[in-house]
Amino acid sequence: MNDAAADPLDNELAKARSGERAAFGVLVQAHQRSVYSLALRMLGTRDLAEDLTQEVFMQLNGNLRSIDSNRHLRFWLRQVTSNRAIDQLRRRARLQWTSLEEETQLFSDEEDSDPLLQRHMRALLAELSPPARAVLLLRYQEDLDPQDIARTLDMPLNTVKSHLKRSLESMREKTAGLVPARCEDNST
Amino acid sequence: MSDDIESRMRAALRPVAPREEFAQKLLAQTIVDPPARSKPRDFTAAKLRPLAWWLTASLAASLVLAVGVHRHLEQQRMQQSGLEARREVLKALRVTSQKLNLAYEAVKSQSEKSGV
Amino acid sequence: MSKYTLTLLIALLAPGLSWAASGPKLTIPSFAGLAQKASESVTITLDPAMLGMAARFLDSNDPQDAATKDVLKGLQGIYVRSYTFDRDSAYSQADIDAVRSQLSAPGWNRLVETRSRKSHADVDIYIMVDHDRAVGLAIIASEPRQFTIVNIVGAIDLDKLHRLEGQFGVPKLDIDASKAAKPAQK
Repeated sequence: MNDAAADPLDNELAKARSGERAAFGVLVQAHQRSVYSLALRMLGTRDLAEDLTQEVFMQLNGNLRSIDSNRHLRFWLRQVTSNRAIDQLRRRARLQWTSLEEETQLFSDEEDSDPLLQRHMRALLAELSPPARAVLLLRYQEDLDPQDIARTLDMPLNTVKSHLKRSLESMREKTAGLVPARCEDNST
Repeated sequence: MSDDIESRMRAALRPVAPREEFAQKLLAQTIVDPPARSKPRDFTAAKLRPLAWWLTASLAASLVLAVGVHRHLEQQRMQQSGLEARREVLKALRVTSQKLNLAYEAVKSQSEKSGV
Repeated sequence: MSKYTLTLLIALLAPGLSWAASGPKLTIPSFAGLAQKASESVTITLDPAMLGMAARFLDSNDPQDAATKDVLKGLQGIYVRSYTFDRDSAYSQADIDAVRSQLSAPGWNRLVETRSRKSHADVDIYIMVDHDRAVGLAIIASEPRQFTIVNIVGAIDLDKLHRLEGQFGVPKLDIDASKAAKPAQK
């Protein structure tokens, strides 16, 4: 399905594929937040996230030929970042994912951010298995639908849905106390 | 309710920017390291024109510029190599630290078992 | 045999020396066959020139970089080979024996030998000492799906190396560094 509006980054991609370094730099700038955030929330520490981000873009550097559009590039970046992060986490089975002592900033500190929810999100991310964590991030950070997530992670659709369902349930339990209590007016 | 929690999760998971220093290093590295070309450049034969004096001057200026650019690129390559070496060192020491950690953990576990 | 050759031979065999003829730098095989089977390989070779270059790019104002710079002082080489596989037992001990056999040469002392049933990891740490200073470190770590060889050459401070954990996103464990400095425990 073609997007109605042309993606301006498609031009940059074409230039980058023909060797223009500046164009490759534009692509890096356009996608680094997404890649870094995915890496950070998968791996839990800034250093590991930066390393993974660097590795992903270096791998992209050598694989540009196989990318034919910015949409494809987004898919590729998400796939490579998620899979590499999952592999790393599996190898470091003993790694305690960031605890509250860790000062790594996983979430934005913009004005409308919700620190209590962020704390619950941090706890949720920590308790999820690497694949489940990737599913959650691809859904709510990258806004992918379950079918795209299944394709990205090469995971059965039902497994994706199951991970999402359990994550949502867990999040609801955690945030139950945050829901404002309904005030019942018993005055006469 | 479900929509509300999901939209709050989306808000919490908005992408965050990496550190400025890291972002600059990443960009510098990608610009110094040229991406692979997918197709050869299209060299169309240009019409030959007699060299005008202004063309000669332009060529001379280009040469000076090229030398300057070359030096700049050399410096960038040095920087790139240095940053790469730094990355390698950090990675090597991380691996070393992890393996020492494995041993220390085993030793500690053994000490605890024998009540030391 | 010339006088020169004899002198050289005596120098090499002199018992006062702690260094083996091969020195603290190990000869690590290419592991080409294993690298092909591995799902991930880490190959790091840092000679004095690379270490010097890296040190220039370490930021003394950054705690991690500063600690790393401190560790690098006096080092002459860091060599790491680590291979991770998709299944258990994809490599054999024979693959590592070419390295392990070098560590039985004079000069190398096994500092720690651990066999953990909990983590299924076997870790051997060797040290080469010259006049009461550590001049070589070798770590061989075997896990079900990964093996790692680390060889560090130069003036090594094990305590500083141990304190680096926590800087690299590795969890901090509450372990007394002085216990780690005690000689071989099984």
